Amino acid sequence: MMSGAAFLNMSAIFALGLLSVSFLLVVYRVLKGPTLPDRILALDMLVAVAIGFIAVLGIKSGFTLYVDVAIALGLVGFLATVAFARFVLSGGVDAKNDEAEEERP
Amino acid sequence: MGDIGSYLAGILIVVGALFALTASIGIIRLPDVYTRMHAASKAGTLGSCLMLIGLAVYIGEAATTVRALAGVLFFLLTAPIAAHLLAKAAYSAGYRMWQGSVSDDLAETVQASKKNRQAEP
Amino acid sequence: MIPFRNELLLTLVWVAISGSYTLPNIVFGFAIGWVVLFIVRDQLQSARVVIRPWATFLLALLFVKELVLSSVRVARLVLSPRLDIKPGIFAYPLRVERDFEITLLANLITLTPGTLSVDVSDDRRTLFVHGMDCSDPDQARADIRQGFERMIMEAFR
Repeated sequence: MMSGAAFLNMSAIFALGLLSVSFLLVVYRVLKGPTLPDRILALDMLVAVAIGFIAVLGIKSGFTLYVDVAIALGLVGFLATVAFARFVLSGGVDAKNDEAEEERP
Repeated sequence: MGDIGSYLAGILIVVGALFALTASIGIIRLPDVYTRMHAASKAGTLGSCLMLIGLAVYIGEAATTVRALAGVLFFLLTAPIAAHLLAKAAYSAGYRMWQGSVSDDLAETVQASKKNRQAEP
Repeated sequence: MIPFRNELLLTLVWVAISGSYTLPNIVFGFAIGWVVLFIVRDQLQSARVVIRPWATFLLALLFVKELVLSSVRVARLVLSPRLDIKPGIFAYPLRVERDFEITLLANLITLTPGTLSVDVSDDRRTLFVHGMDCSDPDQARADIRQGFERMIMEAFR
């Protein structure tokens, strides 16, 4: 039976690995698109993954300040998504042209 | 901080990271922006919330825990609003759904309101 | 007239987030809350809302349960080798009328299994919901009707 601290350290490393993989997957979606809303959605998800990173780093380092960082990042991410959505809503892009290069799986 | 708190925090962050990973896989695999939104807004939100709760459990100090829980509440409130706004924006900008979609009740309404708008001025 | 309850709520949130329970900080939070409410005073409706604590608590419990269920379902769907989905948008005729109830219902729907609210019709009678599995929209409508909408009506009137 492991001690609590050892278990926590191991799970933090494991969680960091999982988060790294999801980070790469989401970045792939940001780069590939194929449409603007896809990219916005992926950026939103990127913020969620980053918040996860911050939480795990907070546990690993024991700094309580990371909680504030996570909250601030969530706020900024939400505002960014809302601003992007309003940009799409205001007709800043042409959906038909944007979709033309899209390929379906 | 006892051992139980450590175990609980460890389990919470691993489960949260697993949910974040499935949300990312969903974003890669699902066919259109609307279905991807399902993955991001549910599994993604739950993932980051679980990890924040893990942090709150680990710190176990009243002021910080309250702050972390306020953060969780905040994410639960904002994530669906962001998803909803993005879906609405994408739909009204004309992004179509995946070909395999089976029904679209919104299409008629949007058509009708477009006609109204053109008829008005 | 600025409702006092919102003021207190904002002060509480400020104190909780800033993490300092001293008197100057509480007064400062109160002042900021007042300024915020003053700025948005035109957007606030002064609807009289009755909150039933027990029903609200049940609603919160149901919500957490559904959130976990929906995440598990998304995870299972995403990890299954063949994507077997029939997505689509269905119309949901609303029974709740007030703006905050519609907002709450739309948010809850977004975080629950297989559904995501997309739009509200201009007359606020219909909610358009994107479903991951839209093969049986009537069943999905009945689920919302029996679940969240009923509980929202019980909790807030």
